[in-house]
Amino acid sequence: MTYMRLNIVLVGLLGVALVMIWRVFDLHISERNFLQKQGDARTVRVEKIGAHRGMIRDRRGKPLAISSPVGSLWVNPRLLGDGVEQIELLAEFIKVDPQVVRKKLHKNKNKNFVYLKRHISPDRLKPLIDLKVPGVYVAREFHRFYPAGEVTAHVLGFTNIDDEGQEGIELAYNDWLKGKPGSKEVLKNLYGQVVKDIRPLEEARPGRSLSLSLDLRVQYHAYRELKTAVQRYKAESGSVVILDVATGEVLAMVNQPSFNPNNRAKINLDHVRNRSVTDVFEPGSTVKPFTVAAALQTGKFNVKSKIDTHPGFIRVGNNTIRDPSNRGIMEVAEVIIHSSQVGITKIALSLEAQDVWNMFNQVGFGQSTGSGFPGESTGELPNYRSWKAIDRATFAYGYGLTATPLQIASAYLTIASGGIKRPASFLKSPDVQNVRVMETHVASDLMAMLRKVVTEGTGSRANISSYTVAGKTGTVRKVSETGYQDTRHLAFFAGITPAENPRLVAVVLINDPKSKEYSGGSVAAPVFSRVISGALRLLNVPPNNIDEAV
Amino acid sequence: MSTSMAVRHHSSQKASLPFDPVLSMVTVILLVLGYVMIASATTEISARLYGSPLHLLIKHSVFVVISLCIGFLTLMVPVKRWQKIDWILLVVAFLLLIAVLIPGVGRQVNGSTRWISLGFFSIQGSEFVKLFVIVYMAGYLVRRREELLNQWAGFFKPLALVSLISILLLLEPDFGAVVVIMASVMGLIFLAGVPLGKYVGVVIVSVVTVAGAAVLQPYRLARFNAFTDPWEYQFSGGYQLTQALIAFGRGEWFGLGLGNSIQKLFFLPEAHTDFLFSVVAEELGAIGAVLVISLFGCMITRGFLIGKRAQSGGDAFAAYLAFGISFLLAIQVIINIGVNLGLLPTKGLTLPFISYGGNSLVVSCMLVAILLRIDYEQRLVAASSRDRHG
Repeated sequence: MTYMRLNIVLVGLLGVALVMIWRVFDLHISERNFLQKQGDARTVRVEKIGAHRGMIRDRRGKPLAISSPVGSLWVNPRLLGDGVEQIELLAEFIKVDPQVVRKKLHKNKNKNFVYLKRHISPDRLKPLIDLKVPGVYVAREFHRFYPAGEVTAHVLGFTNIDDEGQEGIELAYNDWLKGKPGSKEVLKNLYGQVVKDIRPLEEARPGRSLSLSLDLRVQYHAYRELKTAVQRYKAESGSVVILDVATGEVLAMVNQPSFNPNNRAKINLDHVRNRSVTDVFEPGSTVKPFTVAAALQTGKFNVKSKIDTHPGFIRVGNNTIRDPSNRGIMEVAEVIIHSSQVGITKIALSLEAQDVWNMFNQVGFGQSTGSGFPGESTGELPNYRSWKAIDRATFAYGYGLTATPLQIASAYLTIASGGIKRPASFLKSPDVQNVRVMETHVASDLMAMLRKVVTEGTGSRANISSYTVAGKTGTVRKVSETGYQDTRHLAFFAGITPAENPRLVAVVLINDPKSKEYSGGSVAAPVFSRVISGALRLLNVPPNNIDEAV
Repeated sequence: MSTSMAVRHHSSQKASLPFDPVLSMVTVILLVLGYVMIASATTEISARLYGSPLHLLIKHSVFVVISLCIGFLTLMVPVKRWQKIDWILLVVAFLLLIAVLIPGVGRQVNGSTRWISLGFFSIQGSEFVKLFVIVYMAGYLVRRREELLNQWAGFFKPLALVSLISILLLLEPDFGAVVVIMASVMGLIFLAGVPLGKYVGVVIVSVVTVAGAAVLQPYRLARFNAFTDPWEYQFSGGYQLTQALIAFGRGEWFGLGLGNSIQKLFFLPEAHTDFLFSVVAEELGAIGAVLVISLFGCMITRGFLIGKRAQSGGDAFAAYLAFGISFLLAIQVIINIGVNLGLLPTKGLTLPFISYGGNSLVVSCMLVAILLRIDYEQRLVAASSRDRHG
């Protein structure tokens, strides 16, 4: 009987074993799809593969904006817990008061993701990674670095901490520069650490690099000269724009005050604007050549036409427009050379308002320069239909309309190129679009006048050795709530070099110089001279005025 | 000792194989397999908890050496000696169970006070109590067989004893040990030939009692709920079980390969102890899981057959001891694998020879050593009777 009971036990155990084996196959084979899906849901995660942002270079390949790999420290407060030791370790590591870290963790204690500190250099992070504190992670990111700092800050703009362009070229070409992050499937353990890569899902595509029209050497040179000048004249601000006549490329564009894009902790928002493109000013006498251009184009005037400016002032409506002295009868060219208000007023009043407006409009006032720069201002060119006599007069010498320094430079390019307008470009080697807006003889007549402005007129201090310069000064009284001010001025100089075979156009603006001298000829022209002589040499432009060389 | 020396002398002359080859083989295979699986399952946990990936494996290696030594010592002990000291073992069992409950002596882990710390090594009394109770029961059945078969008192005395032990175990609490001891003793009494009517009645009563004890603890009820529908409670009570089941699903036929378990990466709690079978299933697949079940089947069947041989050889104590040990092994294996497979509610029990844990390994080695010793003595008896007849 005992054997029978033993057999019952053994058969029973066999039965149990068979049930187990059935269950093994049931789980292993029949339910595997469901179980594997459940398992993957707990372990398989999609990870981002970072893609760096494209580099920005100058026209000669020098780096202007670089993305370098950095790590961002983040924690999972639920895993980290509130162990005093870890928090103190982390706080010391990121050089923050432990109390601050503790507060931050406490506030987010139910979250799974909190950044502790962004963008730390990989070298500094390594010791922390080696400690393998649970719940502490490092995300690979990229930090944008601008080697030229404040010199190129306004043109380049900057990115935010998430690598998105916020200003300037970084914003304008964000889609081009931006990398496309890829993704991959990874296996993570319970603590979120990646155990192995399973497969790539989407390849990361790094951002494309961008070659700008800027020449970093010219940019540096222009920046240094501008900064010196703005400091010397205690000016409120200043801008220099240099364009390539043949292509419309912006070779240099600098402003003061500037900012350091690599350390934006204490940034003054007022310094961030690219004033050359975003700020508008009344251009003053710098537009006189275009009034003359309109006059020459009608055929009513030629260079030798006589204008009687006697007795040195003229009444228009209730206003009196004055010259510094009575110059009597002037030729058209002399009106420009000596920048006569009365002369230009008389010319303008004898023209159709529409002719003047058309010329201004065609050389680019009131229009975009085509640069595509974010926040570019088009300035204002009020419609001629509303012009009264005094408006016709003031427009002729550059009041009542507004323009950016880039627009003025772009307008002068039209004269330099023999009457052809070309859009301004921040990119290297653009497709040049040529639009004739001025007859060739008009442009060459203007060039001759502008040349004389420098050799015998108001712009003599723009002269440089070895090269010929053509240009025009502008001294503009600034507007305030109480009207035009006697003591605050804009000093302009717009110039073209070399005069015989123009290569460069440059505009210098010194805003509100607080020195005894404040005119364009005495403040802006010398800056132009220094900036452009350096630029010509840097660009290997052959000297064309050896005789005058010192 | 003189008897054993004499016996050994005989055997070296006659028996070609002094030990059951199948049982020894299966034990060695399970030990090796367990060692490999522990190596695989502990590296990540060791690295995380102790800073060195080999910490737990080295500790386990020490356990293996100690267990093998104790196993060999056990092998030297004649079966009669166990019978003689059975009451001493019972006293020791009680002392162990009471000592662990004394504050300052018992060490609490995960809410249960099961260990007596001795520095490097902690003794888990309940593991040894299992063996000692079975030894005592085997002796009791030999001494009181008539009383057991014919009187209620003979039936209730051992049950009272087991109940007392169970109460002490529940104070720790160690519900798993209660189930193992209870079931093994009931199995032993069944094999002793108690009238069926009486037996079934008592079984029903004790099952109800045990179930009652289980329900008294609310966390066990929660565990039971989680067991019936683990996916419903996958983020609370069913978490461990769902993670175990996922391990099976991942394994498919041949497994992910040694060392490739994903569940052991902290997803499956107790992956190196109570749930090591799931890791085996994940890394070695259905084939590996069935192999382990078969090896245990082989070991347990062998244990019962050794008991049967002792019974037919006329050594009732050896027979009951072998049966009892086989029951102990069988029930532990069934519960552990059953839990891993989701066939039984979650219960903290180790898988003999496979799971990490020194006490379990020492006692398992002792159990198999006693089985081998019984078999060895039966062979000697058979050989000497052959001598006499031949």
